[in-house]
Amino acid sequence: MMLSNFQLPIADGKSPRAHLGGTVAGATAAGAAASVVATGAGGPGAATGSLLVHLHVFMKQRAFQTLLEAGLPGVTATAVSRIADFERALEDAPDAVLTLPIVLSAKGLPLSLRGAMGGSTEERYALLGSGGPPDPVQVASVGALDVLGRDGTNRFVRSFVNAGAHVERVTKLEDLLPLLQMQRVEAVLLPARLIPELRAASRLPLAESVLAATVGLPAVANTGANGSSVLAAISKMPKDLSRLLGVDEWR
Amino acid sequence: MALTRRDFIIVLPALAGSAVSCSRPPREGSVPESDVVLFEVHAAHSGAPCVLVCMPETRQTAEVWRGLSDELSGEFELAALRTEGVQSSATIARGIQRYRPAGLVLMNNPTVEAYRRLQASSQDPKFPPAVIVMSSFLEGTPPRLRAATGISYEVPLITLVTNLRKLIATPIDRVGVIHRPGFSGFVERQAALAGREQTVVVREEVSQNPNSSEIKRALRRVKQRCDALWVLNDDRLLSPRLLAEGWLPGVNEAPWVPILVGAASLVSPRQSFGTFAVLPDHTALGTQAANLMLDIADQGWSLAPAAVVQLPLSTTTTIDLEQARARFALRPSALSHVDNVLER
Repeated sequence: MMLSNFQLPIADGKSPRAHLGGTVAGATAAGAAASVVATGAGGPGAATGSLLVHLHVFMKQRAFQTLLEAGLPGVTATAVSRIADFERALEDAPDAVLTLPIVLSAKGLPLSLRGAMGGSTEERYALLGSGGPPDPVQVASVGALDVLGRDGTNRFVRSFVNAGAHVERVTKLEDLLPLLQMQRVEAVLLPARLIPELRAASRLPLAESVLAATVGLPAVANTGANGSSVLAAISKMPKDLSRLLGVDEWR
Repeated sequence: MALTRRDFIIVLPALAGSAVSCSRPPREGSVPESDVVLFEVHAAHSGAPCVLVCMPETRQTAEVWRGLSDELSGEFELAALRTEGVQSSATIARGIQRYRPAGLVLMNNPTVEAYRRLQASSQDPKFPPAVIVMSSFLEGTPPRLRAATGISYEVPLITLVTNLRKLIATPIDRVGVIHRPGFSGFVERQAALAGREQTVVVREEVSQNPNSSEIKRALRRVKQRCDALWVLNDDRLLSPRLLAEGWLPGVNEAPWVPILVGAASLVSPRQSFGTFAVLPDHTALGTQAANLMLDIADQGWSLAPAAVVQLPLSTTTTIDLEQARARFALRPSALSHVDNVLER
């Protein structure tokens, strides 16, 4: 038994091409994102500013990054899903940062532009479990996206459920489902708007409990000299891209 | 932290082949010339427990290290020793003596085997708790190490199927697999897990040393009864000869079914074989290992009595777009769910 050293018999030995400007086989999406920062300035369609995005959507980072670049012309966007990558990318001093208000607050960044849905800048979260609806008072283990690092995410999750709950953190939305499939947790915590997509990916008998507390929708911090032009571009981003972020209006 | 990740990536090639002098003096003794310290990260406060990482030097292990160190640095002292070749047991022994680690991380099968030899030859019954990663077929293997747990390297079938269903528009209800007798237990456990997502596994058992004709016959039989084929990372079944003379002719004749593989090298539009590869996300694997280590630390540096080997949670995916488009109906959003899209 061995680890992935298998080789197909290929005569010409040339490497196939990676599609959609994406990564070469095996390279991480985070690595691809970092290269955009390094090479994005200058040339045709030169960036009017740089934007760091730390949000989680139901698509791969490569595809998300492509959508952001198409929807924000002139803006060099970098999408990261891991909090450690986000913290490193902050050191590159982007002109603006798009993430959840709780993350902006934790990093001491200003709240310059807020996303809203149906007139509200807040959204409901839900617990999703396999079987009956999870009880936030009783649940012993909860899976959640790691948005604030270990301590911060643990506190964030436990603010919705009982203080003794064990928290399992993941870095991608798609990784919440394996936590339920492998019965590593009793429930996962996520924005209620994302539940239909998670349900669509599974045949588990999923049931949810929508929680009373609300969390701020994605927001933007103006952090650099070109921040205003980035914020202006975000305010005009295509509706379908905006809705992907859970937002139908920027204010 | 002594070095940032970027520093690490820049200096790593320079570290290869030579011992590194660290910003702090060694705790005791010195590093023999043959031992390579790939990396050291110092905790924010002195006196923090040390986690010793024993790893070969590859791109994948560097990614695991990144996830691991992102989680553990600051709280613990971290040191990564290169373990390659016949001296690995001695390298690990010297590492334990030098760093006095509270916990160990062991990366890949040879490193685990070297540590097993060390335990077997040691008079000291007490070893620090260890977390094993990148070790094949760890799940279900009887524990041959004292005080060890880990994360299996094989992506579970339930994850493969969940990912495939996001891509292929036709129903994926029955998944075929060709396996040797020794893999029965593994396949059964995977089938039980995949059953939670209403997936039925269609098994085709071959002999312990099959030839290419047996592989082709098995492929013809199993493809009639399944919606996709799951190819195990069994080096005996995927030998160059069986790949060329058994698998390739077998999978490239009708009826076509999506071929799920566990190695990116088996997906290529230049030689149609795997339709879709699902591999562990190595950085996330490091994070998962770090969380296991944090749990061990929370329990006073001991393993919970019920500690079980975990399955990898996070994956990366590669698709042969040429084959997939030619043979199967893709969902409109399929490519947004794939990390690496390959075409000729």
